[in-house]
Amino acid sequence: MIRMSELSPLPASEAWMPFRPGIDGDWNVAQAAHLYRRGGFGAPLEQLQQAVDQSPDQAVSGLIEAVEPDTYRSTMATLAHAAAASGDTRSLAAWWLRRIISSPAQAQERLVLFWHGHFATSAEKVTDVSLMLQQNELLRTHAMSGFEPFVQAVSQDPAMLLWLDAAASRKAHPNENYARELMELFCLGEGKYTEQDIREAARCFTGWEVRRKQFRFNRFQHDNGSKTVLGVTGEFGGEDVVQVVLQQSAAAEFLICKLVRYYLRDDIADVVNLCQPLIRQYRDNGLVLKPILKQILNSRLFHSPWCVGYRVRSPIDLAAGLLRCFAGSANTVQLSDQTKEAGQGLFFPPGVQGWDEGRAWINTSTLLGRSNLIAEMLTDSATRFSGQSPADYVRDKFSDNAETIVRQIQDLLFSRPIPGSTAAQAVELLHRRTDQSIREALQLLCSIPEFQLC
Amino acid sequence: MPNSRRQFLSRSASAAAITFSGRLPVPLLAAVEKKKAPVVLVVIELQGGNDGLNTVVPTSSETYRRLRPNTGIAAGNTLSISSDCGFHPQLQGFAELLEQGKLGIVNGVGYDNPNRSHFESMDIWHTCQRSGDRRPEGWLGRWIESAQRPAGDLTALHLGDQQLPLALKSQQRPVPSIRSKEQFRLRAANADQLQQQLLIASETAESTDDLLGFIRSSTSTALQTSQRIQATGRRSTTATVWPDGNLSRKLQTVSGLIRAGLETSVYYLSLGGFDTHAQQPDAHGRLLRQLGDATAAFMRDLAETEHADRVMLMCFSEFGRRVAENASAGTDHGTAGPVFLIGNQVLAGLHGDLPDLNQLENDDLKYHTDFRQVYADVLENWFQTDSREILSGSWLPSGAIRS
Repeated sequence: MIRMSELSPLPASEAWMPFRPGIDGDWNVAQAAHLYRRGGFGAPLEQLQQAVDQSPDQAVSGLIEAVEPDTYRSTMATLAHAAAASGDTRSLAAWWLRRIISSPAQAQERLVLFWHGHFATSAEKVTDVSLMLQQNELLRTHAMSGFEPFVQAVSQDPAMLLWLDAAASRKAHPNENYARELMELFCLGEGKYTEQDIREAARCFTGWEVRRKQFRFNRFQHDNGSKTVLGVTGEFGGEDVVQVVLQQSAAAEFLICKLVRYYLRDDIADVVNLCQPLIRQYRDNGLVLKPILKQILNSRLFHSPWCVGYRVRSPIDLAAGLLRCFAGSANTVQLSDQTKEAGQGLFFPPGVQGWDEGRAWINTSTLLGRSNLIAEMLTDSATRFSGQSPADYVRDKFSDNAETIVRQIQDLLFSRPIPGSTAAQAVELLHRRTDQSIREALQLLCSIPEFQLC
Repeated sequence: MPNSRRQFLSRSASAAAITFSGRLPVPLLAAVEKKKAPVVLVVIELQGGNDGLNTVVPTSSETYRRLRPNTGIAAGNTLSISSDCGFHPQLQGFAELLEQGKLGIVNGVGYDNPNRSHFESMDIWHTCQRSGDRRPEGWLGRWIESAQRPAGDLTALHLGDQQLPLALKSQQRPVPSIRSKEQFRLRAANADQLQQQLLIASETAESTDDLLGFIRSSTSTALQTSQRIQATGRRSTTATVWPDGNLSRKLQTVSGLIRAGLETSVYYLSLGGFDTHAQQPDAHGRLLRQLGDATAAFMRDLAETEHADRVMLMCFSEFGRRVAENASAGTDHGTAGPVFLIGNQVLAGLHGDLPDLNQLENDDLKYHTDFRQVYADVLENWFQTDSREILSGSWLPSGAIRS
């Protein structure tokens, strides 16, 4: 199949309408795999087959509404506290990666990762592991709900306050860092406010402190005077100014465009126009994310050839994706170290602007790093595919015929056609059916350029 | 901010005294021989704050002896540089290089409002900016971008365990960080075969779109670079005897890569452990021995080759140490210190006066040469590049490199 580089997106009027199987495209295992890869981190064959038996709309609802059972949540909480108690952020990163790989609430975890890159806070500076854990759970709680309560909570999150030096914002010397990032990176985008707005907003946050790892409002350090921010005047406190910021029409536009670039494609030419229908709805429903996300993931544009295969897998996508598709588990301490080497360390975003996605994941060192990540995962004895070694799993669950296996892997894992030469080599290896040859086949397939895309 | 007129004296046997005119020297392009291969800079970062006073010892200073009863180096033990100073006895390697006319010492290097935090000061050396400014790029990163080499080129390479040094950071041109030559390769059990298969997959003629095309060409570049670096290892080693130690091993790798014809122009290495707050004499001595012996071996390794003239080393540290020793037979964070340049194109000997121990500021050495002057020297006279944009200002080159 030859891909046309001139493919352009559907017009805004059609893009967000529901995907119609049989008319807009096929609803099959490969398409369901696309949904789970983007909406979550991937899914094994049984789950994809169940999805295909439903309508795409039902599958999307299922993905988004899935919750973690209480037993799972409590196990995760126990493990999290152990990780925090260790005082080692690596343990916390390993814990989160394990959750990403094993959680039934995939859409939620995908969003937590997105929000981590959005409200990017780094453990490089916030060395208290329990505070980073607390922020992570905050992101999880608010992942799909109303944006305003979310931003209010983030503004008082101790890790965030420490990260952006907001914890020491005094009446006489208001700290502008949080005010700036609130507008520039979190809510509005560059150019939608003035330096004066930032200075006035900074006054609103004076007196916000962290004491004994908790947010505290110090009224003696708070500037009570009247402020004018974004054209609105009042004796604003921090909570008030967050409301003022989110009332700007730029807020809905900024968030929706960022989400669409994340979930669909990061190189959209006229993203604001394309997203207008969603932006309007998001604004009208009071900035609540869940219904918008459902619409995005069930849309014609999402399921179109313009979208499928046009996202570069992040290192976390790479690691988690492979394991999810085989109902797998692995040594996440090692794995999270390796995703860090490949450019994405959980809890260590490069700065408050988060990670540069897309092509930025790919360069001379990261490419080798990505292939080595897969190699180490496949050879490590702790790696299990549904409780078995990768080779046993392939021999058990896949076809006996090598060509069929490659087709099954194509559907399960790939958004682009595997090139003929690679397929032939993989078939040759799979035909031998030895532990080593099966590993080598998987290694090869997961190292080719096509696998870097999803 | 241009510096005022300074007198730079060189005291080695082979070089004459050089004076500073106060003008920014214009690269003499007509006079510069067109080199076939690009020049190479090997940066050795001495981490922790190297004690410059015990490295280039002021042998005729009474104040030095008085302020360093336990850690001071006796004049009779030093390796003579001039009538006023000598090297620490463990720096045989540097003494040898000086005798051969290949080592230049730029004295009193520092900057205004010295910062004594390791990270802050190192960042300042790396980016030429202070903490208030946004710091997305390092000075070498900016040079790499200005060099505009073709896309697949390995313009710079960081050899080390730690994160990529800020000095090399650039927006457009990421620099690979490799732990060792052995590590920068595919680690699958069947790596050779995998590499071949991936090269085929990346170079497939099947038509494609921009994004997949980009990944294919990046994959092919990564594999070829890795192959070239691996291949250099299989060449015959030279007869040079190398000392033990990490720095020596890294310099051996660099020498191998240079001799194999890799087009890399900047190699960045570091040697840690210079933060000698306590029990300085042994620790510092061991480090200086490593530094001297490894760099001397490196130069010997390249001496008989066609590469000898196109390689230069620069050794610097983020600050010097205080003049007076502390109560633990060590020294605390200080200010100015020497920068060492090694190569056939270096003007050997001392550049700039030794900092005056009787003219201290807050009991610390006063710098007289801004570190950006050394960078300007490297950029203008070694890389033949206009330094003004890279250094955000006009800095008078320190005059240690033949222009």
